[in-house]
Amino acid sequence: MKADIGTGLNRVMLTGSALLVESMKADLQQKGCHIVTEESLAGTSEKVDVVIETITQNTEEKKRVLQDIESKVEAETLILSSCISISITETASFLSHPERVIGIGLFGPWSELSFIEAAAALQTESVYKEQAAAFFEMIGKEVEWVEDEAGFVFPRILSLIINEAAYALGEGAASAEDIDMAMKKGTNYPFGPLEWADKIGIDEVYAVLRGLYQNLGEERYRPAPLLRKMVHAGWIGHKSRRGFYERG
Amino acid sequence: MDGYNEEVHCPFCESDDVTLMSLFGSAQLVRQFYCNKCKSAFEFIKWTEHSQGEEEVSKVANHRNEAGVVGSGTMGAGIAQVLAVCGYNVILFDVKEEIVSSSITGIHRRLDRLSEKNKLTVEQAELAKKRLRPVTALSEMKNCQFVIEAAPEKIEIKKEIFMELDKHCIEEAILATNTSSFSVTEIGSITKRPEKVAGLHFFNPVPLMPLVEVIKGERTSGNTMRKLTELGREIGKIPVSCSDTPGFIVNRIARPFYNEALKIRNERTASAEQIDRIMKKAGGFKMGPFELQDLIGIDINFSTTVSVHEGFYGDSRFRPNYSQQRKVQAGQLGRKSGRGFYSYES
Repeated sequence: MKADIGTGLNRVMLTGSALLVESMKADLQQKGCHIVTEESLAGTSEKVDVVIETITQNTEEKKRVLQDIESKVEAETLILSSCISISITETASFLSHPERVIGIGLFGPWSELSFIEAAAALQTESVYKEQAAAFFEMIGKEVEWVEDEAGFVFPRILSLIINEAAYALGEGAASAEDIDMAMKKGTNYPFGPLEWADKIGIDEVYAVLRGLYQNLGEERYRPAPLLRKMVHAGWIGHKSRRGFYERG
Repeated sequence: MDGYNEEVHCPFCESDDVTLMSLFGSAQLVRQFYCNKCKSAFEFIKWTEHSQGEEEVSKVANHRNEAGVVGSGTMGAGIAQVLAVCGYNVILFDVKEEIVSSSITGIHRRLDRLSEKNKLTVEQAELAKKRLRPVTALSEMKNCQFVIEAAPEKIEIKKEIFMELDKHCIEEAILATNTSSFSVTEIGSITKRPEKVAGLHFFNPVPLMPLVEVIKGERTSGNTMRKLTELGREIGKIPVSCSDTPGFIVNRIARPFYNEALKIRNERTASAEQIDRIMKKAGGFKMGPFELQDLIGIDINFSTTVSVHEGFYGDSRFRPNYSQQRKVQAGQLGRKSGRGFYSYES
């Protein structure tokens, strides 16, 4: 039974952030997946086994893209959606067949993610959870199943740490370099929070915070003014050459 | 070996009652002495290459410096140990003689362990021991260049200590507090030298943790900040500067690591074990938030959160979680009590 699921899940359709899609594509091909594009799908009877959708910053766009995909794939196709800023249950509600949606928490470059947080929506049927588990195993990603909430666990906690660092920097409490040094040497963090934000993308961190703020409605999730302005200025870290630090 | 047996006098008090503690170097011959009379450490450096001249070129490194440490608990003892190893003559204060001498005994034991592990030579350890002097009166700190206060976290106690130090210490002395929860500005304002008062926040265990936060009160001078930053480097720490804000850098920015993890667990989004696993595997943290609370002590962690929350006048970003308070109330404080978020009973 399991082998059937495993062998039947290698035609993957990717959509969303171009950067993430590119890095996922190469990796998934290496793991034996066949990447189906929207173009190759049009007018043929080609089947898609798994859709991975990674739009995190614009809920309207996410909704539109998911509905568009739903019109192109079969009603039973598993949909993995990167849901760091809204709940999976809300994401599933965009679809006429919400029972096949599984949320994943992608935060940081795909190549560095050997471990994925996943969660089912309230509407998800258990067979899709099994399919998703088999798919993660096939592509060599360890998975931790948590309950559905915007931001999952790691994106939520790290974004709040980064937010606090941005508040401290914005208030002139310390320099970016001293903040990063303090967190690495004073409490053993693998990276300083601000350099970490540059690496992940300040737009992604902002998306998590805004999502938590909107969904949970608590003051504690309010993005730091500095973060908000940096996103508007396009200073989003390594992707843009400028973030908390400037690059070459 | 010529010049070895010459009579050596202490450059400070001229006494010849000096002990040779160590001797090393090849291009230069360095001899470290301890004066038994005035309790100073000093060194003579002699060039061994003839072309470099015969004269002793350096009389003293800045080993005359006396530094005071107020409070001989875990933090105070750690700070005193680090200062002594790095060449300061340390005056360690506590209210009762038995308290301060038992603290000194503890430092001696740790120094011995360091030399057993070859982290220090036997001579370095012995010299460091000689540099520690226990006192029970703050007036003994009058000649200190620096005094670091590491007394219990009670504002009345700290204010009293700073008033005393201000009265006794030489004008140029810098008075630093190791407080983690009070305003450096408030403590400085009790003295007549607020420009020479700053925070010097060490992390536990002091000899091992590489960071020190140097905190600038509203009235702390740039010169005081520079001198404390230099002192931090001199004793082998990495100094970072921070203005006088609640929790400074580390205790403030690390709050969500624990506090949001507690909230996620409390809302049943994930269990403590899962959160620990995720933060280690997805985030690369060495320990998860619950393992780390168990190690630090849940009570300590809770009181830090309470103090930062109060410092920010109840900003909800720092609101403590009642589930953490329940652990404290239940006496389940982590490893030290055999049980916290995990059980350590065998």
